[in-house]
Amino acid sequence: MLTFIVRRTLWTILVLFAITVLVFLIFFKTPGIDPARQIAGRNPSPAIIAEIRRQFGLNRPLPIQYGMMMKKIFITRDLVSYSNQGQKVIPEIIAATPATLSLVFGAAVIWVVVSILMGVAAAVLRGTILDPLLMIIALIGISMPVFWLGEVVNLITQSRLHSSFLFSWVPPLGYTPFTQSPVLWFKGLVFPWITLSILYIGFYARVLRANLLEIQNEDYIRTARAKGLTESRVLLRHTLRNSLITFVSLFGLDFGVLVGGGALLTEVVFAIHGVGFLTYQSLTNLDLPVIMATVIFGAFFIVLANALVDVAYAALDPRVRPA
Amino acid sequence: MISIPAISEMPGFSSRRVRRRVVAAALTALALAAAGCSSKSAPSTSASSPAGHRGGVYTILAFSNFGTADPAQNYTLEEWQLLYDTHDGLVQFQRVGGAAGNKLVPDLATAVPAPTNGGKTYFFHIRRGIKFSNGQVMKPSDFVTTFERQFTVPGPTTFYNGIVGASACANSSKTLKCDLSTGVVADNKNYTLTIHLTAPDPEFIDKLALPFADVVPSGTTMKLTGNSVPPGTGPYMWKSYNPNTEAVLVRNPYFHVWNPLAQPAGYPNEIIEKYGQTVSDEVTAVENNQADEVYDGDTIPPDRLNELNSAKYASRVHINPLTADWYWAINTVKPPFNNVMARQAINFAANRAAYVTIAGGPSLAAPTCQILPPNFPGYKPFCPYTSGTNFTKWSGPDIAKAKQLVAQSGTKGMKVVVNSTTDSTGKALAAQMVSDLNKIGYKASSVLLNGGIQYPFVQNSNNNSKWNITYSAWYQDYPAASDFLNVLLGCGSIHPHSNASPNIAEFCNKSIQAQMSKAEVLGETNTTAANDLWAKVDQEVTNQAPWVDMYNPKQIDFLSSRVHGYMWNPQLYILIDQQWLS
Amino acid sequence: MAIALTESAEPPAQVPELLAPEISGRSPWALAWRRLSRNRIALASLVLFLLIVAVCLAAPLYANDIAHVNPFASNVTGTTIVNGHRVPLMRQGGGVLKLGETPIGPTWHFSHYFLGADQEGRDVMARVLYGGRSSLEIGIGSAVLCCLIATVVALIAGYFRGLTDAVLSRLMDVIWAFPVYLLAISISTVLLTNSAGLKIGPVHIVASSLWLPTIIIAFIYLPYVYRPIRGHVLSVSEKEFIQAGIAQGASDLRLIFSDILPNVVSQVIVLLPLMIATTILTESALSFLSIGVQAPNASWGTIINDGQDLLYTRPWVAIAPGIMIVLVVLALNVLGDGVRDALDPRAKLRVEA
Repeated sequence: MLTFIVRRTLWTILVLFAITVLVFLIFFKTPGIDPARQIAGRNPSPAIIAEIRRQFGLNRPLPIQYGMMMKKIFITRDLVSYSNQGQKVIPEIIAATPATLSLVFGAAVIWVVVSILMGVAAAVLRGTILDPLLMIIALIGISMPVFWLGEVVNLITQSRLHSSFLFSWVPPLGYTPFTQSPVLWFKGLVFPWITLSILYIGFYARVLRANLLEIQNEDYIRTARAKGLTESRVLLRHTLRNSLITFVSLFGLDFGVLVGGGALLTEVVFAIHGVGFLTYQSLTNLDLPVIMATVIFGAFFIVLANALVDVAYAALDPRVRPA
Repeated sequence: MISIPAISEMPGFSSRRVRRRVVAAALTALALAAAGCSSKSAPSTSASSPAGHRGGVYTILAFSNFGTADPAQNYTLEEWQLLYDTHDGLVQFQRVGGAAGNKLVPDLATAVPAPTNGGKTYFFHIRRGIKFSNGQVMKPSDFVTTFERQFTVPGPTTFYNGIVGASACANSSKTLKCDLSTGVVADNKNYTLTIHLTAPDPEFIDKLALPFADVVPSGTTMKLTGNSVPPGTGPYMWKSYNPNTEAVLVRNPYFHVWNPLAQPAGYPNEIIEKYGQTVSDEVTAVENNQADEVYDGDTIPPDRLNELNSAKYASRVHINPLTADWYWAINTVKPPFNNVMARQAINFAANRAAYVTIAGGPSLAAPTCQILPPNFPGYKPFCPYTSGTNFTKWSGPDIAKAKQLVAQSGTKGMKVVVNSTTDSTGKALAAQMVSDLNKIGYKASSVLLNGGIQYPFVQNSNNNSKWNITYSAWYQDYPAASDFLNVLLGCGSIHPHSNASPNIAEFCNKSIQAQMSKAEVLGETNTTAANDLWAKVDQEVTNQAPWVDMYNPKQIDFLSSRVHGYMWNPQLYILIDQQWLS
Repeated sequence: MAIALTESAEPPAQVPELLAPEISGRSPWALAWRRLSRNRIALASLVLFLLIVAVCLAAPLYANDIAHVNPFASNVTGTTIVNGHRVPLMRQGGGVLKLGETPIGPTWHFSHYFLGADQEGRDVMARVLYGGRSSLEIGIGSAVLCCLIATVVALIAGYFRGLTDAVLSRLMDVIWAFPVYLLAISISTVLLTNSAGLKIGPVHIVASSLWLPTIIIAFIYLPYVYRPIRGHVLSVSEKEFIQAGIAQGASDLRLIFSDILPNVVSQVIVLLPLMIATTILTESALSFLSIGVQAPNASWGTIINDGQDLLYTRPWVAIAPGIMIVLVVLALNVLGDGVRDALDPRAKLRVEA
């Protein structure tokens, strides 16, 4: 286990290096991206732009600029945003993390539970009308763009039906920290949770159902039934466990990217100011420091999530050693 | 799975935000009435403020924050609207609505002086007994710090370059030293301030009304203050600014009214500006009275406008014309449009009614052919590119004339690249321009670039060969014709190979430039004659057709039902703290 | 009675009742095809899918001959006929303020503006039909490409493990963590600002080429297909029959493609139609950046984008392409189920009639 951790850590550093270099190169090699001009504001004189270029080190060779930026992120932690030179990037991201974690954890709980229920139900109820019905609902869920869905949810809960008893409890959009008011924290996250999870529920339910149906015909399931185990025990103990490989793999990928700021559309439409929201802003403003910091933040979680999934494979299928 | 963010698909995203600059032009009361402002409050002075209205928290919702908060650098309408209530300068526009709001009145000075010494010296008496929000007493030497910071903090310095000693401060953002003691002479004993310019500048008093020149205490650091705002003398003070959540303004305990015309007391106890909701959701929140104002720099999405028309909300909506142009800059350097007849042809063919429809209809935009916007110094209605015979107003395109000009110019059938942005308005405008061009015999196609990239891209002369017509917009800095004509179409505004070259069309006409210089000189002594000359320049430039000017937009203010006392000042826009909450 | 398997030329004495009918063995593929062709639901979904494709291919017919519209040109000042009256396509707001211009809503007349107009006055129905072509090409193309490459890489990584697996998996981590939007802006700017496009050797890429979004989207989702398949490969390669194969001296290539692949292919088939839904939606983000489908061309994703701005007044603009996507995804998923059932050797045997 220890060697596994050490090896993975080394690989993580390599991954982070590769990503940051790529991001850096893409940013500076794109024609038309000129941070000095951006920082200089409206109608600057060429002299001002030159001066800003000098101040921010934008006229140094790229490898040196890269080194300077990495130093500011990891060592001195005083990296400053291009769009707002009063804003330190690292504290900003740390302050935004609880909102994203709240959103993603809650949505993950919902989508895991519901998709397992749906997938199992669809597999068990195969042959009845409920199986195709559940699957149609699932497929509608994955065909809806998440921003559109969020806007529709807002249209209904904040605008059209806001005064009705159904939705009058929905607070104004935004994130309330748990420490400030647990009730408002919860109320403000219900619809974002649902919106974010609908996309994944459909996908995961389909995948799970397919895997369950395949495994049904495996020899060892037949043996378990022959041994007299109850259907539910067969299902939970044997079938489900072995059909979770795809489920767990996808979950690691999705959860990792969401925690790292991948839920940006959901955060924007529901005004939750988490890491995803910062990512969105930084991409809009082509603000390299924040882009870089959010990419590093995200990459870290993705690598971590995938490592945990690799460990989980071993738990699910004892024959698989953690790679 | 990850979903790639289609960033600009968000309603309300507008790259225009960064380029919107306030401080508007002179409006006549007639124009105000014609704009259909349905505010029931009379545009009168707020000098009499019944104390019974004080109180409450006024909440503004804005999609994005305004970046760095240091007033020496910040050039956004968003922060300026708040700085008007927290800081003061030597002079200010009258804090009233309507045309009277164009008048400059003394703020921290006791009078608005006329320049002496051939227009190069301005002498001010400074008011006594005024304190900053940290208790420090305001004295004339604070102004020296304020102007020096203009050069040590990176940001726009061109406004105050004319001050004696400023040229030595060219690299002050590096050295953090700028000595303006010869150009800005402060006498703390007699409480006077004298500003010496290297050359006369008839626009200088206007420039003193910009928040860049608002006084800050002399101990303020010469470096960028980042997200904290130095203390000011206004009725409110900055309690906090977190760009990811909100800005909070509370009452300044040391404030007292010294000139109610320049800086009256405010009604709300607290002003909060919250960031980070989509504009559509901001509209919903204000409809539900969960907030009081949709920041007027946020473009209200077209599908929400219908609700605002309804009887339920219409009384909370205020529309006012802006002195701004939305236009197509034509590449005058490359074929086919290096030929003036080709440029005039597309001007005749441009369907400005369609452009107005795309902008949201005649209630939100007025078609125009010329450079200067209405109610601006030097504006005389002029539109040569119309069907019919009334050349003061655009009534329709003249396709026959356009085709004739195309034939005469010999450019028929040539390829034209229309450059625009990827947001829905930019896309729709480009599609219409392509259609207009194809109608008169060109082969047009569109290239849509990300908003943040498009603007510097089209300014850079290196990219000349990649576009023929591009979309842009300009909002005034202060009411001076040169702010449009010289900044956008003057020979001196062409900076080759630079991403900051506001004369996108690269239009340079020597004789017209000479007239612009003449008008600027004339402006020092005879404003009326100067404005007549500017009107003539406007016509001549329009005839040369470096642009296809589309329309002058209007501003929407949408407020909650709790807000009363709305006033629109043509320079300062919505007077936030002069409204009271029920 | 033992039957002597000799090569005698004389056939055994013919006893009619003992004469067994010729048993011709069928290959697994033939069996699979047979099972599939008997699955009525799968066939129905195939027909539905082909129908959608046919209708989308008939888009020019619809636009020119039935609706008489140009679905690509800006038409904000245009008019159409509704209930016998000529009405403008963009209607100004009402009340006192008259703010905004709203496009007409669905007329529910097949021959013009069936689904109404979008904010540029274009016929939504015609655009949805034209959009199908681009969306299906890009969506299906990228999903297939993604699954192909990801499966091959997953087979290699899962089978060989060790350093190969580590390198490939970390490569996939980099891809998954990569800010694709930044890359997309960069590529689109490079391509758009060089009118000749980009030349890499013999390959000539222009911004409007549909290959570009296809490749980019396939690239983005490689890890998403890679990791589950790799997980299954890891699991399958521990099974006894693989160990047996190794013991027998079978080559790696043979083991991978003849033994492991058939056991993971059903996973790929499950993922493929689901990925198509995702790729069609992702395509909208890329076409927004002018990669692939350029304005004024349409794809279902771009129409959904247009519909965002009309959500409160003309929801059908966003819903119509959404419904098309749901139908395609549904059809392909059901077909996929049928194909998986057909290929599954352990499926319940059907007695031949």
